[in-house]
Order: sequence, then C-alpha cells, then structure tokens
Amino acid sequence: MKLEGSFPVSAPRSAVWEAIRDPGLMARCVPGCSMAEQIDETSYRAMVTVKFGPITARFNLVVEIEEEIAPELVRSRTRGEEGTRASTVSSTNILTLSEPEPGITQVDWSTDFTISGRLGKYGLGLMKKKVESLSTEFVQTFAAKLEEGTEAERGTA
Amino acid sequence: MSFVVSPTSVDEAIAFLVDNPEARPMSGGASLVAMKNARLIEASHFVSLARIDSLRGIRRNADGSVTIGGMVPHRDTAACDLLDGDLRMIRQAAGQIANRVVRNMGTIGGAVANADPAADYLPVLVCADAQVEITGPGGKRLLPIRDYLVDWYETALEPAEIVTGIALPPAGSGPSVYRKLARTPGDFATVSVACARDGDGVRVAVGACGPAPLRAPEAERALAGQLDDPAAVAAFCEALVALADPVDDVRGSAEYRLTLIPRMVAAAIRDVTGGL
Repeated sequence: MKLEGSFPVSAPRSAVWEAIRDPGLMARCVPGCSMAEQIDETSYRAMVTVKFGPITARFNLVVEIEEEIAPELVRSRTRGEEGTRASTVSSTNILTLSEPEPGITQVDWSTDFTISGRLGKYGLGLMKKKVESLSTEFVQTFAAKLEEGTEAERGTA
Repeated sequence: MSFVVSPTSVDEAIAFLVDNPEARPMSGGASLVAMKNARLIEASHFVSLARIDSLRGIRRNADGSVTIGGMVPHRDTAACDLLDGDLRMIRQAAGQIANRVVRNMGTIGGAVANADPAADYLPVLVCADAQVEITGPGGKRLLPIRDYLVDWYETALEPAEIVTGIALPPAGSGPSVYRKLARTPGDFATVSVACARDGDGVRVAVGACGPAPLRAPEAERALAGQLDDPAAVAAFCEALVALADPVDDVRGSAEYRLTLIPRMVAAAIRDVTGGL
C-alpha cells in the first residue's frame, strides 16, 4: 500500500534535517515509539507500539538508510516484526525537504508498505486510516517541537 | 494461556482489572473469543461479566428514560416492548445482528465496547442520542455515544473501565427504522441507516461509512418541515455523504458506499414519513 503526504514546518531546512537525523528526537515524535537507537552509521533500531482497537502490537523495527543527500533527501527501508505474535511489516520510504521560502521547510514523504500476519487480517483500507491518523499525530508533534526549538534559538539570539 | 474469572459484582470485576492490567473484560464473548482464537488478542485473564446480576435487564426509569444493562443479549433487546416509537429501530438493529447463536451470546455492552464501525447497534444508538454508562475505578460516568466513539475501533474507555449500560432518552411517539444493506443476512453492514421521526423533522445516523456513525445535526434542522420536498431530502443526503470517510473492504468499495448513502437515507426517510 502506498501512502504519501506533505506538511510545512516553520523552521529552516538545516534545522529540520538535523531533527530527522536525531533518533532521540524522532522517538519522541513517533506515536507509540518507546525507544530508538543508532546501531551503526546507516541503521537504527526502534520499538513502536501500535494500538488498534482491542489489539496492541509492539514492533521491533530496523530502519536502514539507503540513500542520503543532505539536507534534502532520505531514502530508507524499514523492516520489523512483533515480538510474540507473527505480524511483519516492511516499507520503503522517501522523504524530501525543500525550503520554498527562508525559514519555512516543506516536508514531502511517501511510503510503500506491506503488513502481514495477524494485523494483516484487518483490511488494508482500515490500516490506511490508522497510518493516516498516526502520521497526522506525528506531524503535529514534530512541527511543534521544531518550531519550539526555532523560537528558543531566536529568543537567545 | 489465559484464565477466565467470573466476579459477581461490578466492583469486584473492576478491582480485578485494576490488579491485572493484562486482563480483559469479557461480556458475551461472541467477538472476543473469536478474536482470541484467531490470535488477534491476548490476555492474562478474561473477566467474564456473565454472573453480575446488576448488568442484566432493560428497565424504564421514573423519568421515562430507558436503561439497557450492559449484559443484555441482542435477543432480549430485539424482543423488548419498552423500545417502541422512536426507539423501535434499536429492536430492529438487535434482531439483525449476525445469527441466532450470536444474538443469544452477544451483548449490547460488548458490542458498544468493541465499537466495530459496521456494528448494527452504533447507528441506532447515535440516532437515539444514547448515552454510554461507563463504570471504572473512578466510579460511574455517562458519556454521549458520539463523544464515546473516538476513532476506528477506538473508544473513550479507559483501562479497567466497563460499559455497564446504555441510557436512552424517553421514547418519542414518532416512527423509527433501521435499514441495513449487507451482502448476505447476518453479515456486517456494507452501509446501514438509522432514522427516527422527530416532530416535523428526522434524526438520521449512517453506519459503516467512517470511524463512527455519521450524523449531520445542522442539516437535520434545515430539513425540518421539508420532508416531502425531494430537493431538500437530496441536499440532506449530500450533507451526510460529505461527512463520510468509508474504507474499501470485502463488503464494498468506499465509492460504492458513497453511492449507497443517499439512496438508503432517502428510503429510510420515506419509511418514517409514510403519511406525507
């Protein structure tokens, strides 16, 4: 299933770039993410809990950066599975940053993901709604954190 | 491995849920046991509510309002004479849930707690402006069902809270109807419509077309007094279509559902305005 979206952030592109490369900050923005750490130069490990009605799924995810052009593009691949029950997810993701005007960064993302196992029993239609609502939540937290940071910088300048 | 415990009071059930965060309340088990067997869910314990007497029965309160106990099976709701007039649609919905076995097992509290967007109860309860009676460690609270339904399969229920009943306003005299389109009798609805006559207007809720039933109160007010005007009815239907956010699934595409809404809503309005 393919999904895409875009959102503006009131922060310069360099600041947004640093933020998306900061696993600690990303962990605080991704809904349900309890842990994120860098394994090596190009890969990260993350633990994400997704609640879907009566189902709670905890995913161990590995994110591999396949291509990186600072400060405008990241191409990555995510693979993961649930600890106890067999659901697996995998996705390929593209994220691009542009700065249409100084201090405003446009974030465009797209992902192509598959899910199988017990969560796959829910239709993709419903899964898509869930991903959409999680991404909205992420965007709000992420934008708020960055804008906060940018304002703090301005305050001290 | 999970264990079933059978407390005999709501307080006992809640205390157990508080002490065992991985336990789940279980009412009739019609959906929950199937989900467990499909390994969709897990729990340390299933806290069966079947032996709690206070959750049984449908009663009319002094002010005319009606309370359906959380453990009332669909079979009893479908046969209840207290649900008449503009509450009659609730009986019709109960009688169309799944099959006889499920109607004997499944309960209104369980169905509302599970909050399947295509469940038969949700549109009729939204149409009736029902309130969900929730009991938890903090005591009892009443929440309008429209506030209770938060998102796809997500409700306002907090950990260790149980749906102990459904509170309905006093029955109005106007007719009401539940219309369900399903691939086969007993399936979940592809689209469902609950419609109740309210004075010279109607209240309408559409099920299976979004995370919660659709309701358009402003459009309902605009339609009042014009139920016999096809253009006004068409505009009303469009207002509901605009609120819809259906998904593609085995029961039909999102687009098909959007096509069904105006037809089914218009038909339901005709059902409750027979004399016009």
